Amino acid sequence: MSLDSLFKPKSIAVYGASATDSSKLGNTLLKNAASGAGDVLAVHPEAGSIDGTPAVPHLDRPVDLALISVPQARVEAAVADAAAAGAGAAIVLSSGFGETGTAGRAVQDRLVATAGSAGMRLVGPNCMGVVSCLGGGRWLNGSYFWRIPTVPGGLSFISQSGAFGGMFFGHLRSSGLGLSRFLSVGNSADVGITDALEWLGDDPQTTAIGLFVEGFGDGRRFVEVARRVTAKKPVVVLKAGKMAAGAKAAASHTGSMAGGHTAVRAGLRRAGVVESADTEAFFDTLHAAAAGLRGKAIRNIAIVTISGGPSVLAADAAERAGLVLPSLSVATIERLRGLVPSFAALGNPVDLTPQCPADHFVRAIETIYADPAVEGVVAINCGLDLTPFGTGVARGVRSTGKPTAAFVLDAPSVEAEMAGAGVPRFGSPERAVNSLATGGRA
Amino acid sequence: MKTLTEWQSKRRLEGLPYPRELLSTSRAQARDFVASLGRAVVAKASGVAHKTEGGLVRFGVDERSVEAIWDELAAAGDGTVLLAEQLTAELELIVGGYRDPGFGPLVTVGIGGIAAEVFGDVVALLAPPEPGELAAALQQLSGRKLLQGIRGGPPVDIEALARILNVVADLLVEDPSVAEIDCNPVMVCRGKPTVVDALVVLSVEAAA
Repeated sequence: MSLDSLFKPKSIAVYGASATDSSKLGNTLLKNAASGAGDVLAVHPEAGSIDGTPAVPHLDRPVDLALISVPQARVEAAVADAAAAGAGAAIVLSSGFGETGTAGRAVQDRLVATAGSAGMRLVGPNCMGVVSCLGGGRWLNGSYFWRIPTVPGGLSFISQSGAFGGMFFGHLRSSGLGLSRFLSVGNSADVGITDALEWLGDDPQTTAIGLFVEGFGDGRRFVEVARRVTAKKPVVVLKAGKMAAGAKAAASHTGSMAGGHTAVRAGLRRAGVVESADTEAFFDTLHAAAAGLRGKAIRNIAIVTISGGPSVLAADAAERAGLVLPSLSVATIERLRGLVPSFAALGNPVDLTPQCPADHFVRAIETIYADPAVEGVVAINCGLDLTPFGTGVARGVRSTGKPTAAFVLDAPSVEAEMAGAGVPRFGSPERAVNSLATGGRA
Repeated sequence: MKTLTEWQSKRRLEGLPYPRELLSTSRAQARDFVASLGRAVVAKASGVAHKTEGGLVRFGVDERSVEAIWDELAAAGDGTVLLAEQLTAELELIVGGYRDPGFGPLVTVGIGGIAAEVFGDVVALLAPPEPGELAAALQQLSGRKLLQGIRGGPPVDIEALARILNVVADLLVEDPSVAEIDCNPVMVCRGKPTVVDALVVLSVEAAA
């Protein structure tokens, strides 16, 4: 559990806040860190306090976490200062190291050596920092992000891109999905994707993990760690740079046909990691994984709707995703006949029609859930805010546990009923279907 | 990079299913081999790359014609001529191996034939593959239905295919000087895969 001091620090030191200019990034970092609970201290050559936080010229106590945001030329001294004081981990947010070339790489190597000889873990450099839900309404914001999500959840996210971390937070805000941990690993000089993944695998608070990856480094080690983690919880990857040239000097057909992504796919397959093709699918799959759809790889689904056209799109998407829409059993259809209008379509998709008596929705939908031929459900409702539609889905989920994904538009009470049962909602009928399909495989 | 000849490559890849073949060193030896097979063969120049492009692969060679072409093919290559039983395949696959800087040795399998590089329909597996991994990987091929049997024909023998991949993987894992391997084409005849041509590429540093 060598990254405890990173994700669950009790004491923090911040390097790089200005005593005179509160608009500096370092001051944002200090303010963010100080907003959570725990002891926070600023390190500054002259100031006695900065923005209300006490400051010392040199770190004089062994804090759990040092956050370093000083100019590039002063980073080495700050890392040495934190290491000498016995900090458990340091995050270097400052840039200008390995990403700039050979000279920067040499400095970066010295940072790692300094940290390593003191037994201090190093995150970054060139990263956006850490965010962690500490429980009891307390959050660690050891990052430059001034707006972080505040809904606790089981989803954790590791990013090799700081900016994509911003996109992730934006998605959390708009979707209402809860967060457990976030780490921007930057240049991964010491702590990399694989190290963070290993820690999150053992973190009881984390139930699903997303990774934004530009390069895996030691791919074999990633595979070994990731397959242990996926045995316990889903891991979803968005890989950037798929088109990069693979085997350069190919003298064989095999070599010339192997693109840069061929090996990645082989590794992810063995590791049991789900890969998303693009940003939208990545967020959807994370949502499905966080909603607990995993491990319920299903084939036969029912599309339950009152919205004809969108449910046909969902049926098309189901076929593309390799799902099957089985006929409902004779007994189910007979029971439904007594509940829905005579013109309701009792195939699959099952269109109960907006004219279905409101007090029959719940029983009709529960009846569909109870059909043994149905392994999962996609619920579609465009703009008919009849609470019982949502109640039926919620009850079906609660009584059968069958994985369910929804597309609901402009129907707030239906949304609320489904949310109460933990049913994830997606931005289109097709995305609901795809998320049910891939979430189950995660 | 140093490429081994087809004959050398096949000897390095021990235990693969090859067609009946002979590296002939004389016209008379070639004639006797074709006569003993009792059917047409493919005759290939030896020790040259891009044999097809160079017009150095001759099909439908029989006992009489083999003597007429032998000198020309021998002269175009290393002085020998490779003769192999000519197969009729319902499907051609490509099997191979290479190394990735991060993920290490990998084996690949894909839909082969002339259009292999046009479709690029190939999947890779970490080497050595684990039991059951090939079947899962094949599901990621666009042309996976071709493996289930075409027009009432038998499906591809996946276990036999897995044995080919294992031989390729073993060579890569055991010999760090091997950079790339091609088994192309792997001809599938009544479901059974046969490695018709093979190429082993050694990295120059390792070979030196």
